[in-house]
Amino acid sequence: MNPALFSPGLLLASAVTLTALGLWLLLPRGSENRSAWWLGWLLGAVALAGFVCAGKRLGGIGEEAVFLTVSLVAIVSGTATIVSRSPVYSAIWFALSLAGVAGVLLVLGAQFLGVATIVVYAGAILVMFLFVLMLAQPSGLASYDRVSSEPLLSAVTGAVLLGLLTLSIGRLSVGPATPEPLALASAASDSPATSSHAAAIDSLVKNHVARLGGELFGRHLLAVEAAGVLLLVALIGSIAIVSRGEPDVVDHSLDLQPLTATKQSQGGRR
Amino acid sequence: MTSLPLLQNALSVGAILFVLGLVGILTRRNLIVMFLSAELMLQGVSVSLVAWSRFHGDWGGQVLVIFILTVAACEAAIALVFVLQAFARTGRLDAAAWQSLRESSLARVVDQQLPSIDTLPPVWPTLSPAGVLPQADENETLQREHV
Repeated sequence: MNPALFSPGLLLASAVTLTALGLWLLLPRGSENRSAWWLGWLLGAVALAGFVCAGKRLGGIGEEAVFLTVSLVAIVSGTATIVSRSPVYSAIWFALSLAGVAGVLLVLGAQFLGVATIVVYAGAILVMFLFVLMLAQPSGLASYDRVSSEPLLSAVTGAVLLGLLTLSIGRLSVGPATPEPLALASAASDSPATSSHAAAIDSLVKNHVARLGGELFGRHLLAVEAAGVLLLVALIGSIAIVSRGEPDVVDHSLDLQPLTATKQSQGGRR
Repeated sequence: MTSLPLLQNALSVGAILFVLGLVGILTRRNLIVMFLSAELMLQGVSVSLVAWSRFHGDWGGQVLVIFILTVAACEAAIALVFVLQAFARTGRLDAAAWQSLRESSLARVVDQQLPSIDTLPPVWPTLSPAGVLPQADENETLQREHV
């Protein structure tokens, strides 16, 4: 599927270089330059097309189109999350990225997790982020949102890491070490010999939520209890931190009377 | 069998999301954007785990992602409390405001003078007037100052 004029190694190297350049152009560096911004998006799109060309094709055209769409939504809005100057825009782009990730999870057959990602992340965690932004964001664009620390080194690091990961993912097919999935499990269990890999995948899709719940509350029951305790500890801990760590900042905008004076006046009245 | 290309593509998407989150958490200085980047890294790991779960045909990866969701909720609650406390003490959401905690061998972050951006006033949407103008109450403005 690769274009004839590109060897796979050259394609990967150029995609990594373009990723680093595009990320460096997109990250905030103090001076706002619209042409550098658009050039960064263009280079990132070309690099993404390179990664798409280097990847394997899926089976059907419909599956391919759905997967490409949802993963493009996730990746592009994930990029916009980390390069937006305004943190509110970052949070909203992150919500769109969550929608794309939920689509990828649905394509992969994890229906419960796709819905749970939307409900828990976009519905609860992201709203909490937005509340904190409303409480703490100073008006206007802050100076520390317009600069970033070591953008070039970080972009090169990320692109090189991405290239290494893509290389090792692409080798999954070639290596002889790839085991036949579930070969050991189907041989060890007492299930009939017809239980193949496809049947195992079908069992992931049929009665999905019921069987996931059975797995969760059967084999992983102790971990569920531990997670419940963790949630309780986080709840109590955050309340304790908020109520104990009163900062030494006095808000003079509300001209309230000091508490001691009101107590004394109440006591005098009695 | 289409499972191996699907695994590779999903792992690539997970790797790209992870790398984006890594770059974000390395470069950005806003504490909340840094936490959003950490959540993006968690999303990449979740996609990879679900892809492996699909490939091997068992539930381990999906159960792990459920616990990732739980721990991410706890982490976000605690971390946002700390971010709010830090904001109340310094008045900024800047990670470099706490650079006195850095190691002694590291250089100090010095902010250069940024060129001012010419910000146009925002264009708000206009609504066509409807109904009658309510009566102005002189006590209402007094109360509004305390909201």
